[in-house]
Amino acid sequence: MDSRVITITSGKGGVGKTTTTANLGTALAMQGKKVAVLDSDIGLRNLDAVLGLENRIVYDLVDVVEGQCHLRQALIKDKRQPELYLLPAAQTRDKNAINSIQMEQLCEQLRKDFDFVLIDSPAGIEQGFRNAIVGADEIIIVANPEMASVRDADRIIGLVEAAGKPEPRLILNRLRAEMVKRGDMMDVADVLEVLGIDLVGIVPEDEMIIVAINKGEPIVYEKHSRAGSAYLNAAQRIIGKEVPLEEVEEVQSFMERLRRMFGFGPAMAEKRVRS
Amino acid sequence: MGIFDFMTGRKKPTPGEVAKERLKVVLAHDRLKVNPELLEQIKTDLLAVISRRLEVDEQHVQVIMARDDHWDKLHADIPIKRQKISFEWDPPSYTPASNALRGNKIRVDVERLDDE
Repeated sequence: MDSRVITITSGKGGVGKTTTTANLGTALAMQGKKVAVLDSDIGLRNLDAVLGLENRIVYDLVDVVEGQCHLRQALIKDKRQPELYLLPAAQTRDKNAINSIQMEQLCEQLRKDFDFVLIDSPAGIEQGFRNAIVGADEIIIVANPEMASVRDADRIIGLVEAAGKPEPRLILNRLRAEMVKRGDMMDVADVLEVLGIDLVGIVPEDEMIIVAINKGEPIVYEKHSRAGSAYLNAAQRIIGKEVPLEEVEEVQSFMERLRRMFGFGPAMAEKRVRS
Repeated sequence: MGIFDFMTGRKKPTPGEVAKERLKVVLAHDRLKVNPELLEQIKTDLLAVISRRLEVDEQHVQVIMARDDHWDKLHADIPIKRQKISFEWDPPSYTPASNALRGNKIRVDVERLDDE
């Protein structure tokens, strides 16, 4: 079975790459896949904290690349998912500590033991980003439906294709349905029209994510979170299952619910976003 | 606000719509900046080719990169000047009136009709 190395990147910082990597990794492991998540944000590591594994770090990826330890010594097994492993970033170095060739070799090593290798890319377009994509088979871009994020995502699309990688796919994160309804925020179709790439997930804004990060428990474990279900669905799509895209409509007003009860609501058919 | 929409004629764009339009403009610029010399060369080449057949309004020619439907596309906007197109027509021998015309080249003048 062929391994898949997927880099999660964005260009702009703070849009949800690390949260996405942690949750997609967890969701894939919940599906029985062997998953390694790799934090390539050397100097500003966070994937460990989002997974709640920050106390378990002994070695990091720079130690592995420099030969201070074996790969298996640095890999940290997740608290909840036996098939999920984390390779943390170094905290006291910077992004020039490893080069692209070393990163590529590291990815090749990880491929042998895992079905999926998810790489959490740093923000930006410099060495850290280049390292993050060099070993990837596929790239997922995380963007928020907001001008600056989409602009940076577009730049990343260009850089990814210039690097000879296949066209990246999009996870649109932190969508706020009420704002979209009011016209204050771009909707999914707007972003897709501008970027012209395929969509793999829509994740709504959810304050429970902050709680989840603070507790060190990925949001996919939270049954009542729509963001959690969105990540679970995105993982399914990555595996290749057809999952209808999430409805952007938020909490229904009382009148809407009444209308639906009497058969005047919109059909509950699959809603596909035209791309 | 909501109740005054009918007065403004609902023409004022929403922030979401503004963002989308701004993005289209800024991305056209960003993509252009990625390879300005190449686009200039292509523009010069295109003008040379088109100008052999049609008179072009060189001032208003625009060549940009856009992304449309999973493809990066080159968009060239080349305004053509109003003109009379004249050419010489050598009628083929099998046309009905060709006995009279054969061997004579005909001059054809076509006035281009504009909507303006």
